[in-house]
Amino acid sequence: MLEVNNLNFSYVSGKPILKNVSLKVSTNGITVLIGPSGCGKTTLLRCMALLEPPQSGVIQIDDERFAYPWPESAVFTPPWPKLTTVFQQLFLWPHMTLRENILLPVRRRKNADIADKLDALIEAFDMKEFIDNYPNEASLGQRQRVALARALILEPRYLLLDEITSALDVEQIAKILAHLKSLRGKDIGIFIITHLLGFARHAADQVVFMDNGEIAESGGADILKNPQTERLGQFLSVIAAAS
Amino acid sequence: MTVFDILINYHVAFLQGLGVTLQLCLVIWTSGIILGTGLGVVGANYPYSWGRFTRAMSFAFSAIPTLVVLFWLHYPAQAVLNIVIDPFYTASLTLSLVNIFGVGELVRQAIADFPAQYIIAGRVCGLSRRDLVTHIQLPILFRQLLPGLMTQQVVMLQATLFASLISVEEIFRVSQRINSTIYRPVEIYTALALFFLAVCLPINLAAAYLKKRYTRDLSER
Repeated sequence: MLEVNNLNFSYVSGKPILKNVSLKVSTNGITVLIGPSGCGKTTLLRCMALLEPPQSGVIQIDDERFAYPWPESAVFTPPWPKLTTVFQQLFLWPHMTLRENILLPVRRRKNADIADKLDALIEAFDMKEFIDNYPNEASLGQRQRVALARALILEPRYLLLDEITSALDVEQIAKILAHLKSLRGKDIGIFIITHLLGFARHAADQVVFMDNGEIAESGGADILKNPQTERLGQFLSVIAAAS
Repeated sequence: MTVFDILINYHVAFLQGLGVTLQLCLVIWTSGIILGTGLGVVGANYPYSWGRFTRAMSFAFSAIPTLVVLFWLHYPAQAVLNIVIDPFYTASLTLSLVNIFGVGELVRQAIADFPAQYIIAGRVCGLSRRDLVTHIQLPILFRQLLPGLMTQQVVMLQATLFASLISVEEIFRVSQRINSTIYRPVEIYTALALFFLAVCLPINLAAAYLKKRYTRDLSER
């Protein structure tokens, strides 16, 4: 279980980005985080990925506990890549081909089936045509698929995804989301920030709605049909009106 | 007398001058690249001490004409210190300093501007510190730096001409001497231009090729 308790974060003193945020991500399901722009979703994801130290709170990853403020003298050993992240900006290494980008993190692994796993990912994400291109020769949608493949080949226990389908067409979104759904029950916890409410309705085991740095509402996918808070209701109406 | 006649008739003198120019280059390039890279790395790791020092010195050397520094070190400095130093060493020291701080600032800037997101991506993928340096940082930095470094070395090669003004017998001074003997400025300076073209053009073309071939768009567009 990836568990966040009473997380508080601010870049500037007196202007909190996260206010006492608590949530749980189980290893056998998909947690979807939704919320308006600027509400602190990406900051929360970066804190959960142990990339941004919160001012206070506890992040528990299975039996590893990270209590903040982190003592200066204590050794900080994040459990990467057991916990890994795909960012909105992707961050593919520009001097390597897309294939090399995927293989570099696993090159030291002795697993004979790495090549098979790569082939399966290439097939699943329709990457055959461009896998040997460099990132600057690939479209944003192609790079998004590669970034996700790079994370998946690591076989993480927790996978944090920040708006990874933002540049994909409908067909590619469907393929990726189907792949994510297929991972359910394979002992991997997926935490995804998305604006795709359709995906949340069909695939999420847990939906978390965040507003103004706080968890305003959370529950099963049914909260998207029957919101319990006025704020989530408003948010869903705005999305419905826009789509 | 054609350019080639001059080159053939005075080839011994030209080769001697060329030898001195190349010796100067060897000293300037080697010291600049090795010490400059070291200075840049230290400057990037200690931005408030060495980093500021590197920037200040690079700024000073780019603001003060190299010729002024060269003359200052050759005449007033030696007069004040009451010493006489071989002009070759003075030229080597001056141009090396210019190159060291020039390269140092290039390297420092490249490291300071290195996009942290590539390191973050590597860390969350579980890459070790060593893997991050050898597989991510160094290859990207090398690719980004190489064209600039090569261009800087071409500029330094051309700057060796200043050494002629403090009596270093490099190729420009040799050309002047030959010209004073036979007075064929068009042919002699054409030959000199051809020499620099033959050396500098391939380096510049190589820098342009490497830039096109290996440098990558580091933005996430």
